[in-house]
Amino acid sequence: MKIGNIDLGEIKESQIGAALAISFLLFNVVFWAYPFIWLVILSVTEWRFFDVPTFSGLKNFFIVLNDPEFWRSVWNVIRFLGYYVPIVLACSLGFAFGLQHIGRGKVFIALSFLVANISSGVAYSLVFEKIFSSTGPLNTFLADWFGFTIPWLSSPNMAMLSISLVVTWKFVGYYGLILYSGLVAIPQEIYDAAELDNTKPLTKLFKITLPMINAQLVMVLVFAITVAFGIFTEPYMITGGGPMESTNMPLLVIYETAFNRLQPSRAALMAIIIALVSYLAIKIMRKFLEKNVELV
Amino acid sequence: MMNIKRIIPQKTIGSWIITILMYILAITWLYPYIWMVMASLKPTPEIYHTGLFSGTLTMDNYQFLFDSAEKLNRPFLRSLFNSFFITLTVTFSVVISSAFIGYAMAKIEFRGREQINNFIIFQMVVPGMVLMIPLFVLIKQLGLINTYSAMILPVMMSGWGIFMIAQSFKGTPNDYIDAAKLDRASLRQIIFNLMVPLNKAIVAIVALFTFTGTWDNFMWPLIVMSDVDKMPLSVLLATFSKQYGTDVGPVMAGSVLQALPLVLLFIIFRKYFLQGMSLSLK
Repeated sequence: MKIGNIDLGEIKESQIGAALAISFLLFNVVFWAYPFIWLVILSVTEWRFFDVPTFSGLKNFFIVLNDPEFWRSVWNVIRFLGYYVPIVLACSLGFAFGLQHIGRGKVFIALSFLVANISSGVAYSLVFEKIFSSTGPLNTFLADWFGFTIPWLSSPNMAMLSISLVVTWKFVGYYGLILYSGLVAIPQEIYDAAELDNTKPLTKLFKITLPMINAQLVMVLVFAITVAFGIFTEPYMITGGGPMESTNMPLLVIYETAFNRLQPSRAALMAIIIALVSYLAIKIMRKFLEKNVELV
Repeated sequence: MMNIKRIIPQKTIGSWIITILMYILAITWLYPYIWMVMASLKPTPEIYHTGLFSGTLTMDNYQFLFDSAEKLNRPFLRSLFNSFFITLTVTFSVVISSAFIGYAMAKIEFRGREQINNFIIFQMVVPGMVLMIPLFVLIKQLGLINTYSAMILPVMMSGWGIFMIAQSFKGTPNDYIDAAKLDRASLRQIIFNLMVPLNKAIVAIVALFTFTGTWDNFMWPLIVMSDVDKMPLSVLLATFSKQYGTDVGPVMAGSVLQALPLVLLFIIFRKYFLQGMSLSLK
């Protein structure tokens, strides 16, 4: 009887399991699969939110491909990466090396950097908008000590650099700790051997340290590329995409196209293209930079 | 020999310089927060013209947000409540649903489990921005624009949460569960009295990251909410700043309100945040 009882329980339990799974599936039918179908419909129709969608084939595709603002935003992603990747890599590498040499207060320092990562995008964007403003504290400091000011947000060339500095501020702690976890895993014996061979510090950096943290570096680059394509709050709040569209990023263009120009079909198609391009960018980066490092 | 070698560099002058440098950088990284708090405590005309810690300190900016901003059709107190309501509802819902479904995925055999697992992983790699506009269409068809539901319903369950909790639950030995079943524990009791306490860290991580993500969410509520009475703080603050950007004091006071809950959570639960980012400080 007892065995029968447990069997009965088992049957009941697998039904409960299936019921729980079905609740998750139903949720996803409504809030994931249905929008997915709409995504396909939107990309091949002409629609302005109110009228009936009319089939337009590849028309949206050609319009988007010929939209200079869209391409400008893709170009802006490349410009952003041009500033962001070298700055954030140098800073987080420096942070990771520095952290290795700290005896006391390691936790305090790491948390001071990480708190920038766990914070509200709207709040810090507003703060940096004020700090970078033409009469803000940064320019006041520069004027007092060095006698010049920098048009952080009002010059088309500087604005993107300023945005990437803000994003660097946010992510250095996170990326730095990822790299740090790679650094502490490198066996000391390798450095001892290099010491015996009188290896120069720079050679050690490029021949031992960087190859040994290849996995962590690639991970940071994947994050950096994802951030570059998905950035919205910072340019929306700080520059509004300007000056002269110099910080107009893809999500801003998608937002504008869908909700100000009421062209949701084109905006949906832009989102698909941006997602594919970012996927491709990550794929290419990994192909060129990812190495399988093994200790023999 | 090895050990001595590792200890020696810690005491050289070079490493002292590095330590001091790192402290200076840490303070630099905190500077935007310090500036934000100080600016929120000063009258607007003084903010750009006084040193960081000098000038008149007053609570006027906060008083303005809570008393007078309502007359400008910017109910800050209400939006703070909205933010807490939306964020806590979503967090609660994600944690509960992830615990139950995660348990099913980890510990119950049923047909189709493997396929659902694959679906969850597939779902996690599709970027959210692709589905944003069609999701807006759905919310519009359901007549939910300008309702709390628009900000809560689409994120009530999370594939990521289920995945994280299932991974952790798998590590709990089946013997515990069998013992609980012999004591005639119900599914609810098994999950809340056994699995959740045994996997406290992962449940905390799912709760904390859902909370910060929802609190910080800006683009989605910006799209679906134009009614100032139901706006979360992030969106109300953004519209206030676009219109009254020259009132630096009140804008900074609003930023403090927006940032403070997350900073406090981070300080209190730093252990779980570090664990959730899979970082450790050795």
